[in-house]
Amino acid sequence: MAGEGRTDGVAALQRAGRPVKKTDAQREDIARWLAGTDIGYFELRTPFETLRFGAPQAHPAPTTLRAASVGVFRRAHPLHAAALAPIGEPVPAGQAVGVLQIGPLLLPVLAPVAGRVARWLADDGAAVGFGAALIEFQETT
Amino acid sequence: MIEILSNAALATVQDLGRNGSLRWGVGTSGAMDDLALAAGNLMLGNPVGAAGIEIPVFPFKLRFGADCAFALTGADCDARLDERPLLPWWTHRARAGEVLALGVPKGPMRASRALLCLSGGVDVPEVLGSRSTQLRGAFGGFEGRALKRGDVLRCGHDGHGRPTGFGLVPPALAMPLQRDGIAAVRVLPAAEYLAFEPASREAFWNRDWKITAQSDRYGYRLDGEALRPIAPMELLSHGIVPGVIQVPHSGQPIVQMRDAQPSGGYPKFGTVIEADLWRLGQAPIGSRIRFIETTWAQAVAARDEARQWLAKVERMVSLHCSARGAR
Repeated sequence: MAGEGRTDGVAALQRAGRPVKKTDAQREDIARWLAGTDIGYFELRTPFETLRFGAPQAHPAPTTLRAASVGVFRRAHPLHAAALAPIGEPVPAGQAVGVLQIGPLLLPVLAPVAGRVARWLADDGAAVGFGAALIEFQETT
Repeated sequence: MIEILSNAALATVQDLGRNGSLRWGVGTSGAMDDLALAAGNLMLGNPVGAAGIEIPVFPFKLRFGADCAFALTGADCDARLDERPLLPWWTHRARAGEVLALGVPKGPMRASRALLCLSGGVDVPEVLGSRSTQLRGAFGGFEGRALKRGDVLRCGHDGHGRPTGFGLVPPALAMPLQRDGIAAVRVLPAAEYLAFEPASREAFWNRDWKITAQSDRYGYRLDGEALRPIAPMELLSHGIVPGVIQVPHSGQPIVQMRDAQPSGGYPKFGTVIEADLWRLGQAPIGSRIRFIETTWAQAVAARDEARQWLAKVERMVSLHCSARGAR
């Protein structure tokens, strides 16, 4: 009910021709208030905009890369000794960071964004089921 | 459409060979690693025997003149598309203008020839039922010769909508064959086998053979303990096929390969079975190989094993691509 009330309030503001985004003065007020606190990052979402103050989080939550099929998880291409993406090494978005072997077929486990492998969640050569957690992947900030 | 940027000699257009023409004195030709060519084609949804490019000398570069799906199999040669590294035994998609660069083959499983398959196959005219380059006769393939800088080749189609970005476990890993830790091929004893000294016959199976620098698509000259006939032999020329192991007077054997001439007069010690010719075709110059004695039944079983592997590849690729297409 509170939400409905707010929406009605916004509608009333719009009908009255009032601005629904924060004014520069309001933003300055918020920034001044934040400066007196120990808040490092502040995000304000309204129906009309998202305001961000300060540095965003140093580490967004890591993503878990999962098996898209039943198969055998491999950290390296079978012809290579080195892992496709050694832990901590930067990889561009779309690069294979592991492979899933299904019989003769090799399917890549792809980096969803630029980042690095933070942790292996499956052993090299492990038989895994559909949806099994394979890699903890940390997006680059 | 692709444009060759390297003058690296000896890259040729090959398919699975000009079979059935030996009777006209026309050699077989075809990819030295027929499994790599077939597997590359299957990954792209091409007919298994579509023509590809066999690349034996590196570095090698070409530019894609139009968007094109392609597969790289055979030797793992540090391939790059512009600056992006490419996985071996994998399908990729190139955009118009991108340059494919192949480096020197590497790794503990080092092979010697890369196979490049293009969606729809390399579009060259069929001659006597094949698109393979017949170098000796200067016909087939691209103008009957090896590729050179500036050559422009067309591919069947751009492979638009075809899933790429997946690969295969190379057959060298899926169907390994070694003897005492050394790459091996299976051999059927041939017509003059028993005319060689018992010690030579024993040495043939139990010693290493080095692939000398005098080895190419025509034949591999091997270096090892000389094979001695019990008595000198003089034979009339007779028909031979790829895989035949001849022993000239020096006693150092020659294995006939895909571009072998269709007849010869040296005594025949054995024949590398058809199913293992790709292993020899990928053995680098300077490497060592071993021969394993086999039987007709085992040779047929080996051929069936390779066919079954290809059938499995075709089935799995088709399942994967239909699942991807459905999404």
